[in-house]
Amino acid sequence: MRPFAYEAPTTLPDALRALSAAGPGTKVLAGGTTLYDLMKLDIETPSAVVDVRALSELAGFDTGGPRELTFGAGAPMADVAADPVLLRDYPALAESLAKAASQQLRNMATVGGNLLQRTRCAYFRGGPPFPCNKRLPGSGCGAIGGLDRGHALLGGSDACVATYPGDWAVALIAFDAVVDVAGPRGERTIALADLHVEPGDTPEREHTLDWDELIVRIRVPVAPAGRGSTYHKVRDRESYAFALASAAAAVELDGRGRVEDCRIAVGGVATRPWRCREAERELVGGVLDGPGARRAGEAALSGARPGRQNAFRVELGVRTVAEALRIAGERAAR
Amino acid sequence: MTRPRLPRVGAREKVTGAAKYGADHAPDGVAYAMPVVATVGKGRITDLDVRAATAVPGVLLVLSHLDDLGITPAGYIMAGGYAFQSLQPMLDDRVAYRGQPVALVVADTLVAATEAAGLVRVTYDTEPFAVEVGAAGTETVLQEEALPLPFLADVVVGDAEAAYAASPVRVDQSYRSGPQHQVPMELIGGVVEWQGDTVVVHEGTQSVGALRGGLAGQLGIDRERVEVISPYVGGAFGQKNSLQPHLGPLAVAARRIGRPVKLVLPRAHTFHAASFRPVARHRIRLGADRAGRLLAAIHEVDQQASRQDLLPATYTEITSRLYAIPDFRGRQRHVRTDTQTPGYMRAPFEHSAAFALESAIDELCHVIGRDPVALRLDNDAATDPVTGKPFSSRHLGECLRLGAELFGWADRTPEPGSMRDEDGALIGWGVAVGAYPSLTVPTQARLRAYADGRLVAEVGGHEMGQGITTALTCALTEDLGIVPEAVTVVVGDTRAVPHHLTAGAWGTNSTLRAAHEALRELRAALGLAPEGPVDLAAAVTASGRDPVEVEVVTQGPGQPPEMIDRMRAGLVALAGPDYPGYVSFSFVAHFAEVRIEPVVHRVRVPRVVSVADCGRVASPVTAEAQVRGSVVWGIGAALREHSEVDPRYGGFLNTDLAEYVIPVNADIGRIDVAFVDRPDHVLNPMGAKSLGEVALVGMAAAVANAVHHATGRRVRHLPIMIEDVM
Repeated sequence: MRPFAYEAPTTLPDALRALSAAGPGTKVLAGGTTLYDLMKLDIETPSAVVDVRALSELAGFDTGGPRELTFGAGAPMADVAADPVLLRDYPALAESLAKAASQQLRNMATVGGNLLQRTRCAYFRGGPPFPCNKRLPGSGCGAIGGLDRGHALLGGSDACVATYPGDWAVALIAFDAVVDVAGPRGERTIALADLHVEPGDTPEREHTLDWDELIVRIRVPVAPAGRGSTYHKVRDRESYAFALASAAAAVELDGRGRVEDCRIAVGGVATRPWRCREAERELVGGVLDGPGARRAGEAALSGARPGRQNAFRVELGVRTVAEALRIAGERAAR
Repeated sequence: MTRPRLPRVGAREKVTGAAKYGADHAPDGVAYAMPVVATVGKGRITDLDVRAATAVPGVLLVLSHLDDLGITPAGYIMAGGYAFQSLQPMLDDRVAYRGQPVALVVADTLVAATEAAGLVRVTYDTEPFAVEVGAAGTETVLQEEALPLPFLADVVVGDAEAAYAASPVRVDQSYRSGPQHQVPMELIGGVVEWQGDTVVVHEGTQSVGALRGGLAGQLGIDRERVEVISPYVGGAFGQKNSLQPHLGPLAVAARRIGRPVKLVLPRAHTFHAASFRPVARHRIRLGADRAGRLLAAIHEVDQQASRQDLLPATYTEITSRLYAIPDFRGRQRHVRTDTQTPGYMRAPFEHSAAFALESAIDELCHVIGRDPVALRLDNDAATDPVTGKPFSSRHLGECLRLGAELFGWADRTPEPGSMRDEDGALIGWGVAVGAYPSLTVPTQARLRAYADGRLVAEVGGHEMGQGITTALTCALTEDLGIVPEAVTVVVGDTRAVPHHLTAGAWGTNSTLRAAHEALRELRAALGLAPEGPVDLAAAVTASGRDPVEVEVVTQGPGQPPEMIDRMRAGLVALAGPDYPGYVSFSFVAHFAEVRIEPVVHRVRVPRVVSVADCGRVASPVTAEAQVRGSVVWGIGAALREHSEVDPRYGGFLNTDLAEYVIPVNADIGRIDVAFVDRPDHVLNPMGAKSLGEVALVGMAAAVANAVHHATGRRVRHLPIMIEDVM
């Protein structure tokens, strides 16, 4: 770890000023569960750290509103995961938080910071001697042609196949969430679907925020499909692991048991949170049954480009979507 | 007789954080060390630039091969030395494997040491390397020729080739496992401080004697000028069985700066800084008659080695003895790779050997349509098939019968895929057995009885969490009829008595033997009856001395007296399993249930029944914990743990606890543990055999056999991953 400047402003305007003043090498500190980890590994080497934990503007969350749910960016993942309204009306959102990391990490990590969690790719985290275009642009990709069992099937490029590691953003994208962002040029709102970018030729660029901007809150439009939802996460062990494949699925049935609304997103298999509109279209207007769920899974994983070791995760992804839809459908029918 | 269930000694200290582990020692003025490790797979260092590192404020010292460290290698533990490998890094410019330490930075703070370590610029001339068994550039050698020692010779009984060829039923399959790492919670490292001419080491270790003898040799000083203090070890599992290469340079650094130095390796470093479980590839051939009577077995193993050392392999020691197989041939080879020297990890050979053999036995059962418990019972051995000697005790059949009853094995339907849960999950029931030698080592023990009723026992053993302190406390309190609160057991401390390495499950039975002998001496010294409860305080007071002290040293049956000198020098001195007049092994039977999800096919292990024959159970609470822990290890080995190797870079890739996947609580279901609990008075007067290792042996095979029963898929490698059963 290298020396860095540290500031802990107490208001949002002060925080934005501190960010601007510190310059482009600055990192925002919220829960610290990723940033400190990567700083200790010498992967993140910020010149300055702006600690936003004291900002009241980022605190709290409200799941009782008539039109939308709002989550302050600084709300701890554990608090949001335990919210009774979320557990009842949007189990996919609550489960995506509860199945992430460990309880200790969820107590520290925030719902805003979690959106920008960085990849677990071992070649990225390992530092030298491994090449990594994300860590050191132009150095190459260790995973391509290497140990890629956990790497992305969707949205990769010749420069990078690192998996987006998060769960929460996968569930959020299924519910058309937006993020409110503050910066020196004022506030703006970005659809969550537009927050993360695929690696392309610039894998070091992972999102569309400017360096002096800060996520203030996340908003989710009220959706009746939330009640019939789940976040299904398949991993190498039952807890404390990243997804081999995950799926957020939400289903709303009409009076005749046909699918009126359907939301599907997949995680653990793509370079960014991955909404599956085509898979949704497979189901809307029809009866949700096993073969239909399987077809939706196949649509969700269509376009998958496996590498050396991760081809099994195409089929695993298909099955994970199908299983998530079964669980969501059962909840929707209750 | 109902045994008292003495709670684990030290449990409260551990769960409240009061227990002080090696690196918890924080002397005044302590400085902090951080290694710099090689980033290439093999080669030579052409330049090592420390200018930027030494410019970091607070940096006191940067050691590398460019300095004359003034130390010698400590020698390989299995070749008359003290260290986990013969190679001592930082003595020359050679890099033998990625992750090898090339420099050591010492600074006022850990932050400064870490920053400076990242600023040491090392330039290499790289050389080709090979890290995978079977890769071009590896070298394969026959153990019998490379290590010409009697106990390492191939086991040959009868004419296995001919008997196999003549067998009506034959199974011929290959299995593989590893590499794996021990990853104990306690990281590697410790605190070294010079007190005058004496160097004091606080470090978690299974062998204070090896650290003492090894470090003294490295520094060229008398053994008596090295003290090693290791009252608790936060898990070892073989990783901490010998001197590790950080210790010599750490002692040099502490002497040069005149301050104590602390080193705690980052988790990632531990994957290259110590040993690991090597890759093992097995070919098993079994010959049987149509009723399932075993006629022949051929077990051939290739084990991963380093370039610098060969880890003596004993895979066939148990596979030749689990059953009454009349004709057996073993062959063990080593495949040299460019890694640190692999070594001992809980049930080091037996876990992998039993996975192979017990999978093959299951395959045989499937081929001829015999029940896996019944076939095993039919082939139980009455005498040792290898030597013809009797077993000191053998209750494997009872392990199987009792386990089958507790598990409900009679309800199993044999056809794979024939058992399902209501939710559609496939259910599989598997069984496998294991054995492990009961070894004995020279052990010194000193008892001091005080007039206030206290008893202090200083014993040559180590507490790695396995419960040796509790077992000794049980033995001392039961023998004398005194309360546990009156007893203090001191282990892991060279200031008390000399210690042999504690490993290989010999710790409890060896230290109990010494405690038993010391108790007889103490009773004699106090004029007490040879057995029965005593009033210790009264006896000591009546003796007119306070305290009354006795000291003994015991050794294994048939062991020559010079083995005691080896023990005192910190060297390995094993007796068994082939003792004069008998052989001694412990046995276990594992029964595992797996459930395979209907759609996604995740494998769960909702319940396990394990029954062990370890002679008399020395300490019920910690013995059960030992077996439960082994079952968890077995589930990890069967379904989770795997050290990943990228042959382009050497070393290991998944070097943290997020990516090296060990089981979490949610992976573990119900574990029922039972013991045969029949004393083995042939082996020793306390009747105890080994337990800590045997409890793991066969567990992975039980899971693999259950997976086959559930799915019809025979997975012949470990771990079994989701892609193997989809």
